[in-house]
Amino acid sequence: MSLEAAVRLTEILLALALVQQSLEHLRGFRDERILFGVRVVLCGLVIAGVAAPWPLVGLAGLSLLILHRFQGPYNGGSDRMGLLALWCLVLTRLLPTPALKELSFGYLGAQLMLSYFISGGVKIVNPDWRSGRALADVFQFSAYPVSQNLRRFAERPQLLRVMSWAVMGFELAFPLTLLWKPALVAGLAVAATFHLANACLFGLNRFFWTWLATYPAILWLQGRLL
Amino acid sequence: MTTGTLLAPLRLLLPALIPSWNFFDVIAPAPRVEYALLASPGDTTGVWRAFRPRPEHVSLATLLKRLFWNPRWNQTLFVMSCAERLAEDRNPAHSEAELFKRIAADLVADGALEPQDPTRPWLCFRLVFVSREGEALTEEVMVQPAPRLLKDIAIR
Repeated sequence: MSLEAAVRLTEILLALALVQQSLEHLRGFRDERILFGVRVVLCGLVIAGVAAPWPLVGLAGLSLLILHRFQGPYNGGSDRMGLLALWCLVLTRLLPTPALKELSFGYLGAQLMLSYFISGGVKIVNPDWRSGRALADVFQFSAYPVSQNLRRFAERPQLLRVMSWAVMGFELAFPLTLLWKPALVAGLAVAATFHLANACLFGLNRFFWTWLATYPAILWLQGRLL
Repeated sequence: MTTGTLLAPLRLLLPALIPSWNFFDVIAPAPRVEYALLASPGDTTGVWRAFRPRPEHVSLATLLKRLFWNPRWNQTLFVMSCAERLAEDRNPAHSEAELFKRIAADLVADGALEPQDPTRPWLCFRLVFVSREGEALTEEVMVQPAPRLLKDIAIR
């Protein structure tokens, strides 16, 4: 995949993810409707490829107003990944030389890889994660399970230990998938399934679409490095 | 407008540009938001109710639909973020205002949730943090701001 094709695909996927989020805000308070109404329009221009790169620059500027409105990300990690992707895309479009463009887009791909690897690293050093206790805590009392009956998973320690090690093992092994294109594609398919499960169990639908939008960056990076 | 005001959004942006990716490294005490309607600011007879309690069951069809349309749950996650920020004293005025606003909006939008009682015009909330000590779950009330008049809370 060429840099231009990967950047364009990421732009379109990210704009679609931002439209999905923005539509949810249009049923919110008046100030939110204004901010996210503007964002829908800018995303439409990005998808249509009109007046590039200025709608993308506009989205980056608007992201600062949205950060100010909520005094931080509205939905934690998913919004942060969306911001990272957006600002990397803006830099890729605005930086003057091909090398700098590759550097800023490659940074997004590298951060995607790190998002899995570091998440696995911080878990495996925690004894509660290695025993499955941490995942039991997530189900038992965290704010995330979308229904009460999901909390019963906390009563299945063997299953949770296996699930914990599966998640940690996948996250830590993810960088190895960069060595071979079919392995990377398979790794991304597993990762997408992981995000889909999190969307269903914990209502984290924004993670699913935002992480998916950044996959072209790591596919391009793998081709560029090997 | 001061330089600090201009730089504030950039400070909020920085953790996104240089992320830590330490998702779920430790399972911290989890907030629950409870609210009560009071007769006066000092009233102690209000009944505490959970804000947006979870349903017992969510169907597979609903779970899949929420992949595309999930505004209420995402707002609930934002409320939890505000609760954590408030408990950690990070920009407490903003978090407190957001919590009052979103609880009040729910009360007004869904009159059946809490029939409006003119003798109880004050809204109060508290943050109960649930954690595990050994094998037992414990609850601790960590924040309970001063009540506000429901009619004075802007919900548009």
